[in-house]
Amino acid sequence: MTEHYVIIGNGVAGNEAACHLRQRDPESRITIITAGRLLFYSRYELPRLFHEDCDWRDFLVNPVEYYVENRINVRRNSFVTHVDAQRKSINLAHKESISYSQLLVASGGATNLPAELSDFAPLLNRFNLYTAACQVRDILPKKGKVVMLGGDVLGLDLARNLINEGYQVILVATEQTFWPHRVDPDERKLLLGALTDMGVEVIENAKIETIQEGAPGMSARHILFDDGCEIFADVVMPFFGLLPAADFMMGSGVDFERGLLVGTNLRTTDPSIWAAGDVCQIWSPEENQYRFYYGWQNVKKMGEIAARNMTGDDIHWETATDHKMYIDENRQIVSPYWEHD
Amino acid sequence: MIDSAMTETDIQLMFCGSAGDGTIAVGDIFKRAMAEAGFKVLAFDIYPPEIRGFGKCISRVRVTSRQAYSLKHQSDILVSLNDSYAIPHVSEVRDFGGVLYDQAPISAMAEGEHISGHLQPGQLPYGVSMREVSDQTTGGSKAKNIVALGFLAGLYDMQREPFHQIIRDKFKHKDPIISESNLLAFDTAYDEGVSTFRLDFIELGTPERQDIGSKVQMMTGNAAVVRGCLDAGLETFFGYPITPATSIMEDLATDLPMRGGRLLQTEDEISAIAATIGAGYAGARAATATSGPGLALMVEMLGLGVMAEVPSVIFCSQRGGPSTGMPTKTEQSDLHLAVFGGAGDAQRIVLAPTNVEGAYKCAGKAFEMAERYQTPVIVLLDLYLSNRYETVILPRQNPFEADSSKKRSHQERGVPYHRFSFTDDNVSPRTVPGEEGGIHTVTGLEHNELGRPNDQPDMHLKMSEKRHNKLLGALDHPGITIQKRFGDEGKVDVGILGWGSTFGEILEAMLVAQDEGISCSAMKVVMLSPLPLQPVQEFFSDCREILIPELNYEGQFANLVGSAISKPFTRLNRVPGVPMRVADILDEIRRLAAQVKSAA
Ligand SMILES: Cc1cc2nc3c(=O)[nH]c(=O)nc-3n(C[C@H](O)[C@H](O)[C@H](O)COP(=O)(O)OP(=O)(O)OC[C@H]3O[C@@H](n4cnc5c(N)ncnc54)[C@H](O)[C@@H]3O)c2cc1C
Repeated sequence: MTEHYVIIGNGVAGNEAACHLRQRDPESRITIITAGRLLFYSRYELPRLFHEDCDWRDFLVNPVEYYVENRINVRRNSFVTHVDAQRKSINLAHKESISYSQLLVASGGATNLPAELSDFAPLLNRFNLYTAACQVRDILPKKGKVVMLGGDVLGLDLARNLINEGYQVILVATEQTFWPHRVDPDERKLLLGALTDMGVEVIENAKIETIQEGAPGMSARHILFDDGCEIFADVVMPFFGLLPAADFMMGSGVDFERGLLVGTNLRTTDPSIWAAGDVCQIWSPEENQYRFYYGWQNVKKMGEIAARNMTGDDIHWETATDHKMYIDENRQIVSPYWEHD
Repeated sequence: MIDSAMTETDIQLMFCGSAGDGTIAVGDIFKRAMAEAGFKVLAFDIYPPEIRGFGKCISRVRVTSRQAYSLKHQSDILVSLNDSYAIPHVSEVRDFGGVLYDQAPISAMAEGEHISGHLQPGQLPYGVSMREVSDQTTGGSKAKNIVALGFLAGLYDMQREPFHQIIRDKFKHKDPIISESNLLAFDTAYDEGVSTFRLDFIELGTPERQDIGSKVQMMTGNAAVVRGCLDAGLETFFGYPITPATSIMEDLATDLPMRGGRLLQTEDEISAIAATIGAGYAGARAATATSGPGLALMVEMLGLGVMAEVPSVIFCSQRGGPSTGMPTKTEQSDLHLAVFGGAGDAQRIVLAPTNVEGAYKCAGKAFEMAERYQTPVIVLLDLYLSNRYETVILPRQNPFEADSSKKRSHQERGVPYHRFSFTDDNVSPRTVPGEEGGIHTVTGLEHNELGRPNDQPDMHLKMSEKRHNKLLGALDHPGITIQKRFGDEGKVDVGILGWGSTFGEILEAMLVAQDEGISCSAMKVVMLSPLPLQPVQEFFSDCREILIPELNYEGQFANLVGSAISKPFTRLNRVPGVPMRVADILDEIRRLAAQVKSAA
């Protein structure tokens, strides 16, 4: 019987795995399932939208023909609602069920929004997807003002791009600033200083009271702090890191903490289910705990390991030490996590 | 509609569902709204032979700012109202085109039953809450088609108003609640469409200005025939229903009596042609409409029309044959029957329009010609042309002569009447029963000038010459295109000769070939009998290679041309039951062009 490898997630991890699965098992069926409507595109390049006349076709990592030639069926606009590990099948929101021989969960992370801001969600713009990025580009006036809440590495990367394009960026720093890096108070001071030098206006120790829609003819957003200060901005964006996106695994019987728990071979507690990427927590024998690893290079490696082990190999993830953020000779903040091909 | 700047519009939509899903109805609303907005529309519906219940329905609509000649082989958007029927057509959507479907169907599905799993990598999915919105707004799932339409209209920023108008119109004979709830369904889905991020690069653009002094309308080939008949002053129609000609009789049944005309559904096709010839003999403008099997029954009577030199008009919409064949599929395989069918040397006029506007002109001109040349005139359509919709520009002034018959001159009225007198143009003055001094004999037997039976060899030869030669005048008949050349002028590498509805595909292929730098022209021949030999011969000598594409197995038009011209040519014959693929013609053009190049 030909194997049917089903991969939930059309990101770096899922696509890297699909590529290796095809090489190692040429006869198999490979299905990638994604809630998104596009083929795999490079989200790292989204800031190009601010200075180039480009669209999602320019961000595609693989050409359309790649999927045809490699017989990788990418089922887009298909939201997974449940995994039935016993029956080896998954349910999609449109009521179709799909069976698998082996399943790789590579569903990444969803934007984390602290509970105290959830009421304001409709007034916040994200930058996690192409469509969200286009919306920001379309509503942001020339030299407009962007307020970033939190300021994880993704946000900081965007901040640098926006400043280079002449926009104003205000960062409301929180404990998630620099996520996923853990920085001590001294480092934090230095890094925030570097941000200021970059042109980012940094606000510290401020608690948001409310976010409102701006009055007609005024800036689109109005932020009020508990000390009575206020900021008017064109766009307000949350950058509080990611939370693993695997609600559909609830009730599947697979062990789950904050993310899906996997051994160093990336297998979950179900022998036919594997996990890779931002969604999983990998066992670290050295540290005796499960750990997340983020960023393109890490996630890509996980995709490869999972695929190889799914096809009979026995290779293992090696616990990596935390890569520290640093300030380079040009006073730019560098996150070693954040390097990609 | 959406853009202030003029952009070239060329999008093709395909609605696909099962009979009962409202597929054809929604395609109809869409094309009417587009025509209303000023776009050119070319559309073709395919439905099963069964009247209702089961079977696949497809409505393809091409919307352009300039006139298009055929449907595109690939659509830009597929709207699925029934996934099991739509799945086989996903491959007809181009890369970066969109597929709209119900994202929350009512029941659980096994793997592969939902269309989203069949999209090709380059295609873009648009999940729409079709059933849910239909349920919420109308209390049932019947309005899924309207929901899909509303979403589509919102997604592409089309104005709501033309749609509202047409939906109201559609339900005007029903309980007002139905119209209101359908409008609500449309609007709810429209808002969903507006808020959906469009990932394709389809722009609707702006329609071109309309010609002043003419009126733009959207109609099918059969509807155009009806308009042509009415404008030409049709007085009597006799017919027997047959797909795909039936709608001609149906529409005339409503419209003809309102203009003082008469229509009779006869017991069969033989009676229909007999009555038509009888009415023609009596001086009325008379017609019948049928398809291949009906024409086969009519040819015996048609011979009488030829021999007795009685005007009559026969519309024949071809379908797949022989025999009962493929009633709901298109084909161009009745040419032999139309041109040659019947006993004896019974030449008649045969016209084959290539598009809907041509169907209008040929219909009206057929009456002029029948009268002028005292002969049956067959207008050869096919299912594709009969049923396809086009926006056409009809002249505001009626372009047809009310009476084209050759009457006796003043002097001739004083002398004994010879019904079949030999004249310079081989057309004899004609009288109708009751006309003073016009009494004469008419028979199916060979006859002399008085109409009296005469089978002498000389007389048969002279009368045969008269009957054939009088038709040559039709080649110069005013106000109708007999044949026309398109594309590059002068000597070219490839020439494509075509007839009937396939000529649209030929033109599209020729335009693409020209864009690719191939020197080519296309010629359409509207009058198949008598054949305009001289211009066709000139075309042959201008083209290094000649291609004749047609939708029949035998190459019937190629046979007709080949019997008169000795230069070799290439045939392209297809019998798929659906219009010829532009790509197939294009491939042949490319091949022939390469052949010319390598020979040089
Ligand atoms: C905008 C942006 C920029 C970034 N820039 C960089 C950078 O410059 N350098 C760097 O190293 N890292 C960067 N990262 C982080 C890095 O991209 C992530 O670590 C990596 O994308 C995670 O990959 P993944 O394959 O695990 O998941 P993802 O890439 O997040 O993919 C998750 C996939 O799962 C699908 N999915 C989720 N839930 C469901 C469901 N229920 N049903 C169906 N499908 C589902 C999603 O549709 C998606 O296709 C960036 C991240 C973002 C969002």
